[in-house]
Amino acid sequence: MKNDYFYIPQIEKRNAKAKRFHILVSSAIITTMAFLFFFLFTIIKEGIPAFKQSYIQVDIEITQELVENPYAINATLDKDIAKFISRSWTRSLPSQIEKNPDWIGKTVSLSALTNADVDQYLKGNNHKLSQDQQQKLDKMYEDGIIEFKFNKIFFTTGDSKIPENAGFFSAMVGSVLTMLVTMLIAVPIGLMTAIYLEEFAPDNKFTQFIEININNLAAIPSILFGLLGLAIFINFFGVPRSTPFVGGLTLALMSLPIIIVSAKAALKTVPESIRQAGIGLGLTKWQITRDHVFPLALPGMLTGSIIALAQALGETAPLIIVGMIAFVPDASTSIFNAATVMPAQIYTWSGMPEGMYIEKTSAAIMLLLGVLLSLNAIAIYLRKKFQPKW
Amino acid sequence: MLSTKTLLLPFISVAAIASSANANDQIKIVGSSTVYPFTSYVAEEFGATTGNKTPVVESTGTGGGMKLFCAGVGSNTPDFTNASRPMKVAEFEICQENGVKNIVGMKVGYDGVAIAQNKDNEALDLTLEQLFLALAQEVPSKDGKSLVANPYKKWSDIDNTLPNREIKMIGAPSTSGTRDSFDEMVMEHASKSFPVYNGEPYKKIRTDGVYIPGGENDNLIVQKLAQDKDAMGYFGYSFLEENRDKIKGVTLNGVEPNAKNISSGEYPIARSIFIYMKKDHMGKTKGLEEFIKLYSSEAMTGENGVLKTIGLIPMPSDEHKLTQETIKSLAVITPEMVKAGLTNPAK
Amino acid sequence: MTAQSIFLLFLGGLVPLMFIAYIIGKNKALKMIQCGHKTHSQATQYGWFSALYTGLPVILVMVAGVLASLFGVDAIPKPMLIVVALVVGVVALLVIQKSITKDTKARDNIESLIKGVLLFATFISVLTTFGILFSIVFEAFHFFQRESFWHFITGTQWDPDTAFLEGASRDASMAAAAKFGAVPIFAGTFYITFIAMLVAVPLGVLGAIFMSEYASSKIRNTIKPLLEILAGIPTVVYGFFAAITVAPILVNLFAKFGLSASYESALGAGIVMGIMIVPIIASLSDDVISSVPQKTKNGALALGMTKAETIKFVTLPSAMPGIIASVLLGVSRALGETMIVVMAASLRPNLTWNPLEDMTTVTVKIVEALTGDQEFNSSLTLSAFALGLILFVVTLVINIISVQTIRSFHKKYKISTL
Repeated sequence: MKNDYFYIPQIEKRNAKAKRFHILVSSAIITTMAFLFFFLFTIIKEGIPAFKQSYIQVDIEITQELVENPYAINATLDKDIAKFISRSWTRSLPSQIEKNPDWIGKTVSLSALTNADVDQYLKGNNHKLSQDQQQKLDKMYEDGIIEFKFNKIFFTTGDSKIPENAGFFSAMVGSVLTMLVTMLIAVPIGLMTAIYLEEFAPDNKFTQFIEININNLAAIPSILFGLLGLAIFINFFGVPRSTPFVGGLTLALMSLPIIIVSAKAALKTVPESIRQAGIGLGLTKWQITRDHVFPLALPGMLTGSIIALAQALGETAPLIIVGMIAFVPDASTSIFNAATVMPAQIYTWSGMPEGMYIEKTSAAIMLLLGVLLSLNAIAIYLRKKFQPKW
Repeated sequence: MLSTKTLLLPFISVAAIASSANANDQIKIVGSSTVYPFTSYVAEEFGATTGNKTPVVESTGTGGGMKLFCAGVGSNTPDFTNASRPMKVAEFEICQENGVKNIVGMKVGYDGVAIAQNKDNEALDLTLEQLFLALAQEVPSKDGKSLVANPYKKWSDIDNTLPNREIKMIGAPSTSGTRDSFDEMVMEHASKSFPVYNGEPYKKIRTDGVYIPGGENDNLIVQKLAQDKDAMGYFGYSFLEENRDKIKGVTLNGVEPNAKNISSGEYPIARSIFIYMKKDHMGKTKGLEEFIKLYSSEAMTGENGVLKTIGLIPMPSDEHKLTQETIKSLAVITPEMVKAGLTNPAK
Repeated sequence: MTAQSIFLLFLGGLVPLMFIAYIIGKNKALKMIQCGHKTHSQATQYGWFSALYTGLPVILVMVAGVLASLFGVDAIPKPMLIVVALVVGVVALLVIQKSITKDTKARDNIESLIKGVLLFATFISVLTTFGILFSIVFEAFHFFQRESFWHFITGTQWDPDTAFLEGASRDASMAAAAKFGAVPIFAGTFYITFIAMLVAVPLGVLGAIFMSEYASSKIRNTIKPLLEILAGIPTVVYGFFAAITVAPILVNLFAKFGLSASYESALGAGIVMGIMIVPIIASLSDDVISSVPQKTKNGALALGMTKAETIKFVTLPSAMPGIIASVLLGVSRALGETMIVVMAASLRPNLTWNPLEDMTTVTVKIVEALTGDQEFNSSLTLSAFALGLILFVVTLVINIISVQTIRSFHKKYKISTL
């Protein structure tokens, strides 16, 4: 080695240093990934139990009186069992009897929703049951009187003050309505702006000003869009609070710059030769754009729009400001009725005192992440599949 | 050539969409955040059991709610307002001026604020005055003639019979209804017993870190109390009830915070809460009468009503009967009743 | 009559009217062609021309009417407005039909109308910026009329209780005057941002170096989507995670060392926020580092530098402006981030250096002021707009600096993105 002309005395040290650097940068990525997996693991671990719900088998003598006052069953049942049944189930008895009129006068065996305490106890979480009740429950669980079923309620009802009756359906409907408004406003305007800037705008100070302006708009904190929605849409234009309409408008303005920037990038990828060929054939600018440039850039534009909408779907802060955190159990039927959206529901549930909401929040997060990931996957698929290659 | 039918088609389809846009048949409720959880519960029950739409309940504060409620009659104004105090004479007059002539008032029950600490601590009894001295921004000086910045760091500084423990109170943020109740019933009330405030209500809470606003998540307060033995916290009475395994109540003037003492008025931090209805909206908004009747029913606000499980302290049964009668007859409130702060007409 | 039915009625008039105009215009042109005239444009273009120029005045009248009623001229009943607008449309239709001849430049007219519409769409994003600026400045101005601006940016006491009482229409006569000194709030914001950056900058920049310089394309193709997942997680989810999982872990961890950490500590919120920002910094820095020309790197390697030395002394210095820009973007995201701090940080303005204590931020205070029980005109509500104004200005300045830096970097290496 010593005779080697190229031998550098410090080389071992330097190589060791290089190796350490390699380890350092790798560890940065490993830490980030570890966090991601830890995060997903915690949410899934917390959320999975929410997809099952305990039900208790009860024999109930159905009388006409129950239609008037369903709570009368509490007197006929075993005292403890009556305490295990959810109120939301009891109050739905009359409508169940109405659907099955032949029940009246008979004793039927029904599967009743249990209340949050029973459910949480059986899942091993915090509860407020006495020692006595716990033993009774253990016994009933062994005997199969209490069993876990798939939690349909979570997917069919809206928010509720009764934790076991709380579902995510209304929030999903609210999100769909809000996204509809956002999409109908932001996508056309965004694409039109991008087309104008890329295809029609003269290169002057004014155009540059607009471009800078759009870039800055993309970096404005989302909560400030909420302030805009409150001051302009609600206070000035009198748009009703808490509705998908005002929420959608606010989110539309927020996603506008993202859509514009990505649509512009998509238009830039269309080769100049296509435009020149159009001009050569005597087409107008609009004809070239409509029939040639636009269709070629469409996959890229759609990808960008989907990603922007996915971002809007997960946004909460501006919606809180425009009042989309009201208590709305029913699924909204129109964009002018009060509604809540998925992330806002996650926010309100996370602040609820009852432990059962924690697992419901985690389950809701799983659903929301599922939707967002599939939207992104669709976007990526669209880009890969339809993007023309030059 | 196109036929007339094709020409008419767009007209017909658009007209069909237009006609499907229907009128609003949903009850609108505004008002106090203290009453909000109870009203939302009844609203949900109403939607689940009667086939009507679930009313929209918004928390706007008692004063804000009154303002909206009294702004006039019509589909853009709320049908009900929640209130954590009786309607004021001035508000009643504004209502009358704006054409909101017939108002039905209903007492919902009582709301209590519990002060709690870690379960393993020794029992503690405080007076409202001690609590005030621990939390006020400025307290009377030693000679009681002037105000000085609050010097107390430990409970034993206030009164040497109290434990030698750091003062640390975790409470609601200034925007919450619980804080509202606390300010009014502890701070305002106690400040009247110190002559230096000239009998005027003083409700400034110290900001030097002794008082910690806990955020809207009351569960975190309970968690903190379970961890930190020095800390005390206050929240709606229901939280104490629910978490007796981790925390216990601080007695005030020797009175234990429990449902009985609250509804009897013995426990000092409790007050009546109300809901007001526009009788003029009956027949315009669907289900008004059914809603208020459900609210006043035994199953909801009765002594063993379900609202009790989420923190309402129900009225004693004779008072509840009287309230139900008022609701049954839909008797409107009169200026005399407003002056006396009542909602039930005198017999 | 609801806004909805008005809108639908309007559409119910407009769409068929334009449809008819299209048919008439097209037929007229077809007839001219049949008669052997050589028209300037194609028949369908005459159809579109007549439809668009019939619809335009209708929409303009309608918009003018709605604007007039918004600015207080409430004399025009809505159904009447619709009728007037549609009558204008019919008149326009008649005029256009009359004026269509073989020399009418239908195609050019469509072209200019479309250009106008596109330009109008472009204005909306400009209007949004000005809308935000205007609404915030307007309300913030109201606030500063009541409270001193100087005290707002230098005062250390944030104590708005009295304003809250007034806002909730309650008696506040005896309570001392409200104090709006926002320094503790700004301090909390910057402190939490600082903690977030302590997490995000090393992880992000080193991660970017790994991806662009060390990772095989296979690893890169797995890590990139994972980072995108991290970037796509909604902030409300991060907030939930920070409050429910991270905060208790930190409290227990520090309790082992005998330190008491708050459940709403700046540290917890800052760490989670940092993780949120890692993918932003990583992906931008990755782009920048990858775009440093291979020639430069090869030069360094040829001189006998190790790979690490090449990165440290050649690649990173060249990429530095871009990296700084990406960090600045991360800072601006952190400053404006809302949900994480709303859920995991505290409401108490607290001026301290201890990261284990609870602190509040500008965004938390904005949310608190706008979701509470008070009226819109109370000083407390308006303080949200004053805070919002500061946030707007700060993030805007940071963003402009960052974009300028990255632009000059791109110019230097002749990259034409952004």
